[in-house]
Amino acid sequence: MKRIVELTINGEPRDMAVETCRSLLDALRDDVGLTGTKKGCDVGDCGACTVLVDGEPVNACLMLAVEAEGRSVETIEGLQPGVDTLHPLQDAFMRHGASQCGFCTPGILMMAKKLLDDNPRPTDEDIRFGLSGNICRCTGYTKIFDAIKSAAREMEAARS
Amino acid sequence: MNMTTPIEKRDFKIVGKSVRRDDVLEKVTGEAQYTGDVKLTGTLHGKIKRAAIAHARIKSIDVSRALAYPGVKAVLTHENVPRVLHYGSPHPRSASCTKDQYILDDKVRFWGEGVAAVAAISEEIADEALDLIEVEYEPLPAVIEPEDAAQPGAPLIHDVGPGGNLVLDPVRVNRGDVEAGFALADFVLEGTFSGGRPHPAYMEPNVCIADWDGSNKLTFWTSTQSSFMVRGILAEVLGLPLTKVRVLVDHMGGGFGAKQDCFQHEFLCALLAKETRRPVKMEFTRHETFVAGRSRHPCKIWLKQGFKNDGTLVARDMKLVYDSGAYGSHGPGVTIVGTTAATSLYRCENVRLEGRCVYTNTPINGAFRGYGVVQSYYALDIQMDEAAERLGMDPAELKLKNVVRAGDIAPSGHPILGHGLEICIQHGVEKIGWKALRERDRTPDPKHPHIRKGWGIGCEMHGSSAYPGIKEQGNATVKVNEDGTVTLLTGAAGLGTGAHTALAQIVAEELGVRFEDVGTVHGDTDVVPWDIGAFASHTTYLVGTAAKMAAGKVRAAVLERAAMKLQVSPGEIDLSEGKVFVVAETDRCMTVAEAMGPSRGIPAANIVANGTYEPTKSYSFAAHFTEVDVDTETGIVEVKRVVPVHDIGRVIHPIAAQGQIEGGIQQGIGHTLTEDYVIDKKTGRSLNAGLVDYKMPLSMDMPDIETVILEAAPDPGGPWGAKGVGEDPIIAIGPSIANAIYDAIGVRFHHYPITPEDILKALREKDA
Repeated sequence: MKRIVELTINGEPRDMAVETCRSLLDALRDDVGLTGTKKGCDVGDCGACTVLVDGEPVNACLMLAVEAEGRSVETIEGLQPGVDTLHPLQDAFMRHGASQCGFCTPGILMMAKKLLDDNPRPTDEDIRFGLSGNICRCTGYTKIFDAIKSAAREMEAARS
Repeated sequence: MNMTTPIEKRDFKIVGKSVRRDDVLEKVTGEAQYTGDVKLTGTLHGKIKRAAIAHARIKSIDVSRALAYPGVKAVLTHENVPRVLHYGSPHPRSASCTKDQYILDDKVRFWGEGVAAVAAISEEIADEALDLIEVEYEPLPAVIEPEDAAQPGAPLIHDVGPGGNLVLDPVRVNRGDVEAGFALADFVLEGTFSGGRPHPAYMEPNVCIADWDGSNKLTFWTSTQSSFMVRGILAEVLGLPLTKVRVLVDHMGGGFGAKQDCFQHEFLCALLAKETRRPVKMEFTRHETFVAGRSRHPCKIWLKQGFKNDGTLVARDMKLVYDSGAYGSHGPGVTIVGTTAATSLYRCENVRLEGRCVYTNTPINGAFRGYGVVQSYYALDIQMDEAAERLGMDPAELKLKNVVRAGDIAPSGHPILGHGLEICIQHGVEKIGWKALRERDRTPDPKHPHIRKGWGIGCEMHGSSAYPGIKEQGNATVKVNEDGTVTLLTGAAGLGTGAHTALAQIVAEELGVRFEDVGTVHGDTDVVPWDIGAFASHTTYLVGTAAKMAAGKVRAAVLERAAMKLQVSPGEIDLSEGKVFVVAETDRCMTVAEAMGPSRGIPAANIVANGTYEPTKSYSFAAHFTEVDVDTETGIVEVKRVVPVHDIGRVIHPIAAQGQIEGGIQQGIGHTLTEDYVIDKKTGRSLNAGLVDYKMPLSMDMPDIETVILEAAPDPGGPWGAKGVGEDPIIAIGPSIANAIYDAIGVRFHHYPITPEDILKALREKDA
């Protein structure tokens, strides 16, 4: 049975008609057409589908779409502050080679955004801990750590 | 033998610079389209019913309830699909493969093998319909372990092949006289080694979409490293000319070698779409990527080597048994490459090798980064450390004494040209202060008395190309557009390594245009030139050279045209950064766009050229220096620091090359310490087919990695001396960890993964 769910996606009010058993991930990908959020396992193990719900990171595969009623969902498609501008994290990921196959990248970027929103000056350990739920199999994480540190510095400099 | 083939030197403008990769903007914005993101109207969902038995004959299969289930559009079984014996991994031009697969058979050969397929209007309905299919099995005795499969009288898994559950005839290599060599030895080391079943665990589960048009042409989106191989096999098995099969792949979520089979689900997806006349999508669950994907071949090795008291290696006798799983797939290639690799790395004149590959009733093993060599060099490199211990020598010195040198015969049967292993070892020894580490105070830190520190070295070499097992060919087409921009057409896959960017850099450099002016077209078998597939660390070496050749041809054509317009001879002009100029008079110049355009009496140009390259092989080299902490209370080994020193010839894109090395180290740490896809020895059932139970190193587990890339020994076979890099790191890291563990706690391990249980058990035995 389908239900109408009213929510905010990337700042825009949306409504979607979804089966009550549908995950937020499938609803975003198949019903809303936002395929940037990836399905790597569908059981909450890999973090590829990380989105922010009311600012908190969530594995979208583990949340029912109907649970998003009245809430604010941020996905990778909403990370850019404007059409022609990138979030400092996106820019840093490109410069540092933090994205190889790129399948984990949207989830890691959303997790990194949350990390820097909460903690603008993270230590190496903070970054490692912050990403511990996101599997990257290509990079060995080294360049992801570099990119996040670099973005943190740039965001700090932009604020001061 | 020409040892001094010159490598063209130049002041590089684009090669050697970490330009922005052509694929990353899409990746960081979420716009990159992967196969699973493709959406076609009216798409049905395909699902596969998998056997819950390791070896059986299908007595009957009843699909009537599934077919009658509302929303189900088609059901396929072995009774209604074409019965064509085919290859799983038909490396084109390779003679070593065996045709041993049917799309669906009346026999089950491993737990999890597909026995039927359903297309339905939703994934849920397709899943539910699978439960309505009733299969009656006649169980057959299963052989899970390679030793059992190789026993005389063991149940036979296939009717094809050389028999005795062998996938191919044993691979034998003999050089010199092994018995005479052992007679010269002052001492002999003998040991058995074994490797588990690491799984590649690429982040994007296998997925494909099939769509047939009114002219009976199949368009097929699939996440593959080898789109032309998929096209070839699909066409052969479905009885279609190649004009009627179009394979598309844009971005790929990793592959690491394992996405170069033509998989059962790919045939089934195409057939379900044909039957229903609607697009069908088939997407693996994560569980299926383990069960129906491909893992590394488990391997058992017996290794005996003779040494002189001065450290000279005088004889090597080695037997290897690779477990292919239920089908041949890459078993033959892995066995040939992994076995012949053991002729080299450490020089030895008298070598006798025997590699076997056997079928077992377990999930299929296939290609995976390091392709058989991970296994054989783990044994070679650890035994080298043992020899150093026996001799009272520094392992770095013993390895330096014995490593292959330029001019030595490589596993491929050729003299090695660009050779940099000595330099890699020497560089690492200096960088980390190896000698001081050997002589350090070994008293544990009183604050952490249960932690023991150790350092180890692991060495490797790996070929860039699969020659001579496969006669390789790289192709590229380069077109100059009328505005002076350039289009590169390549069949090379975009696994995520940055290969397309490297190819575009090579074209821009050779042609003399800006990197931004080169656009790349890839991923469509109807459009791009034929490609052998992305494997054997060869894309930059093989396709890169082809692209350089094509770019060189169009450059000559542009110069010729510009010379006509500038009224000089082509020898008097040069082309750089998109401008053609008279060398002696640099303000007499024109842009490439101006050269291309029409002018009085000269029509607009159409400049297109192909490059085709059929190489032999080059070798890349690496020495990894690894620090571990072994916790003697928990048995946990923590890799603290790795200094990987690689010789990969000319570096095209430094950050991408570093990324290959660092990612390979991550996977190799996993293989050596925590990763093993476990199959129940009684039932053949998968025990840890998921990303929690299959434990990979993640952000908290990664050591500090200080990557060093030395352009020590460029090889004339690659563009400006470039060699491969993809597979090297995963080979060197394993033995470096095992050797470091020995350095820390004085216990030798001959297997991987080395688990905390293994460590604690060994420490108890050592104390007893």
